[in-house]
Amino acid sequence: MGLLVLGSIGAVYAQVPEPPPSEFPYTGNRTGVWIVAQLHILFAAFILGAPIFAVVSEWLGYRNRDPKYDRLAKEVTKVTVILYSMTALTGGLFIFVLLATYPDFTTWLIKHFFLVFALIYPVLFIAETIVLYTYFYTWDSLKGEKKARHIALGVLLNLIGTLTLFVIDGPTAFMNTPAKSAEGISLVEFIQSAGLWDKMANYSWMPLNLHRLVGNVTFGGFIAGLIAAYMYMGAKSDEERSYYDWMGFVGNLIGVGALLLLPFMGYLLAYELCDYDASICPYMMADQLSMFFEMQGAMVGLIFLASNYYIWLSMKRIEGVERVRISGLVVVAVIGMPAIMGFTWKVFPPPEWQSLIVLALLVILPPVLSKLPGLRNFTVSSFTMIKVGFFMIVVANAIWMTPHGFVATQALATEELELPSWASELALMPAKNAAAFTLVFLTVVNYILYNRAIRRGTIIWGKIDFASQFVLVFLAFSAIWTMGLMGAVRSLTRKYYHVYNLLPDFTAESYTPTLAYSAWWITGLTLIFYIVVSFAILITLRASEAKSPVAPGAPVPAGAE
Amino acid sequence: MVQNGFARVVVKKLVFGVLVGIVLVVVAKLTHFPPVFQVMFFIYAMLGAFVFILLDAPSMKRLEGSKAVVGLILFYVIISGVYIAGATWLPQYDPEVEKGKIEKLLKARRARTKQGKVEELLARAKALDEKAQAIAKQLAALGGGAKVVAKVKVETEASSPTSSATSGDLVALGREQWELQECYNCHKLFGQGGKKRGPALDNIGNLMTPEQIRQKILNPKSWMAEGFEKAYKKGKMPNKYKDLMFPEEIDALVAFLSTLKDTSVNTPRPIKMQ
Repeated sequence: MGLLVLGSIGAVYAQVPEPPPSEFPYTGNRTGVWIVAQLHILFAAFILGAPIFAVVSEWLGYRNRDPKYDRLAKEVTKVTVILYSMTALTGGLFIFVLLATYPDFTTWLIKHFFLVFALIYPVLFIAETIVLYTYFYTWDSLKGEKKARHIALGVLLNLIGTLTLFVIDGPTAFMNTPAKSAEGISLVEFIQSAGLWDKMANYSWMPLNLHRLVGNVTFGGFIAGLIAAYMYMGAKSDEERSYYDWMGFVGNLIGVGALLLLPFMGYLLAYELCDYDASICPYMMADQLSMFFEMQGAMVGLIFLASNYYIWLSMKRIEGVERVRISGLVVVAVIGMPAIMGFTWKVFPPPEWQSLIVLALLVILPPVLSKLPGLRNFTVSSFTMIKVGFFMIVVANAIWMTPHGFVATQALATEELELPSWASELALMPAKNAAAFTLVFLTVVNYILYNRAIRRGTIIWGKIDFASQFVLVFLAFSAIWTMGLMGAVRSLTRKYYHVYNLLPDFTAESYTPTLAYSAWWITGLTLIFYIVVSFAILITLRASEAKSPVAPGAPVPAGAE
Repeated sequence: MVQNGFARVVVKKLVFGVLVGIVLVVVAKLTHFPPVFQVMFFIYAMLGAFVFILLDAPSMKRLEGSKAVVGLILFYVIISGVYIAGATWLPQYDPEVEKGKIEKLLKARRARTKQGKVEELLARAKALDEKAQAIAKQLAALGGGAKVVAKVKVETEASSPTSSATSGDLVALGREQWELQECYNCHKLFGQGGKKRGPALDNIGNLMTPEQIRQKILNPKSWMAEGFEKAYKKGKMPNKYKDLMFPEEIDALVAFLSTLKDTSVNTPRPIKMQ
């Protein structure tokens, strides 16, 4: 009977003409898929990053008995709950669009990862939904002595979220670096017989997991900063301003803290991609994508400038900051850092131990030597240090952004567009690594100074320069823009393949779009995401603005509980 | 008063930025940096000036209500514009170049898929039908009503790049493969491409036989270029061409490389490894 029914259905389908091919209006299919995928990734990054931020904040509040942290965690979770539905919506849309526009490839991929798509991922997503809502709705009931249980729930939520990320990264990374075939077998034959784990645990899987995990925390921190900025701008009382000023500071601190690791996670991902196939490296750095990386250098530089500018504005309002000083040897180390580390990494490329020794000496020697009697008084004011720091941030940005040639691909390079041969080192990885490390080191030094300032001085929350709120907005916007840019780069490294070197994309759109074209869409996507997030903030927080804020509006010693 | 003070700071820092920029441009010119880099250095100097102006800027007045909303919208418009303009200002890769490459690369591959074969048959049937209709029209115009069986020769496109190649243009097809497989990203040839990732190949035809070149392409570990020990150990040359290229494409590439016999260029000596 069943066979009869199936047979008749088959006959019916055979008589019905093929549906017309799906064409995404205006943008074409490839850009259409990009838009939906990128939006999904942005929402997903938020709902994975924000809970990490929230549970850390909740734990800090519990440990320090400071209700501000608890309120911060709850407000971020509130926004997360609203945006969770957007993640599911865009995720569903992503699959529909993929199936309609690239049916053969999508079916192929689903079949290769059937267990992941049909069982593991949905189960994890459902589990995450249940735990997220439980976490949010038990906030008020699991307090006091039961608070530890609530924090444990938050940890569980993050474990499931991280696992979900790792699972879905498998097929994503597989598209970039499908498993390498065994000796003597072609890649096609190998993939046909490879098990699920062989395909999941591919070259770029773990680096992508780590990169996205750290990126999500950065993202969560900067979005918390954005929430704080919006709420600060709309605050009606000093108490509210005081609280949201503090929240912006914490968001920025966590965002920047994770940001410091991000360049190294990016290197790890790029390293594994190049290890998988060395031709990916020149394609990224010297061919069609080279100017995308030029733009990335500019964005990272701007983010570091802005985050340090926020520290500067925060410090300016601390009373007694002028008394804070730092060893002049740190200034010397910072000025010499790009040249010293650039040279060292050229002679001893990491991870050779000699380079690590030089690096450790450069970081450790200034504070150690400053204890010596003759050098103890060789100090500079915190403001001088930060100004030198800003100068070196500009220098490091310049090094990071200096390309081998101002051409979209090296094949088109001419003498008029290339670095002179004596300066070619400026465009190589040792110089770029040294620049990245200088940016990271300077940001750490600035935070150390800030920490000293708030311990010795008096901070007045709520009295920060209003420009700082625009800096927070700028940081979130730029972080999202950079995510969009690098997401495009990761996809474009596959060239004209759906799955690199394995499954070609035969459609007419399988080429690399220009950077200018990509920039328009990345900006558009960032704005769409911003509009939705802004709406979520307005309806969740502005509409139910806390009636009794806890934070003090009056000056208090910065270190006071 | 504060405003005047800040205006003086802005002018002072801008002048200083311009001076530093000019010094950088002069030094860059003297040290043979091309003009585009001189412009870049000047921009960095101005960026530095802008940063130091920001550091000394007076506190911003609080914006409230609609002013804050307008301020935010304006801010978004400005940063969106700056990012788009920045990305547009940088050199752009022409997608048409890549489209041409992809078309050449994928055409032969698509033709070998089931769908490609069906499409080819459909295209041939369509072409036949059009020819037959055209002949029928011609016959009708001539007033003939007789049934004529026309022998129609339909030109079909080659299903592989070398199927119609003579030995003469095999080298040209090989050069095309050099471009399509982007060998130039690692190997310098005719003074272009490379950047020390792989050896220059201008004289490889004198150093390796066609069979040895084929071995190297199919199995990159089979030969090592002298002086490229590190790259060899790291497996820098991808071991993928045996899977990605059709045998006739490899034939063409080998034929092209075998013609490279420019002794004036130092091509490293190949060493047999496996």
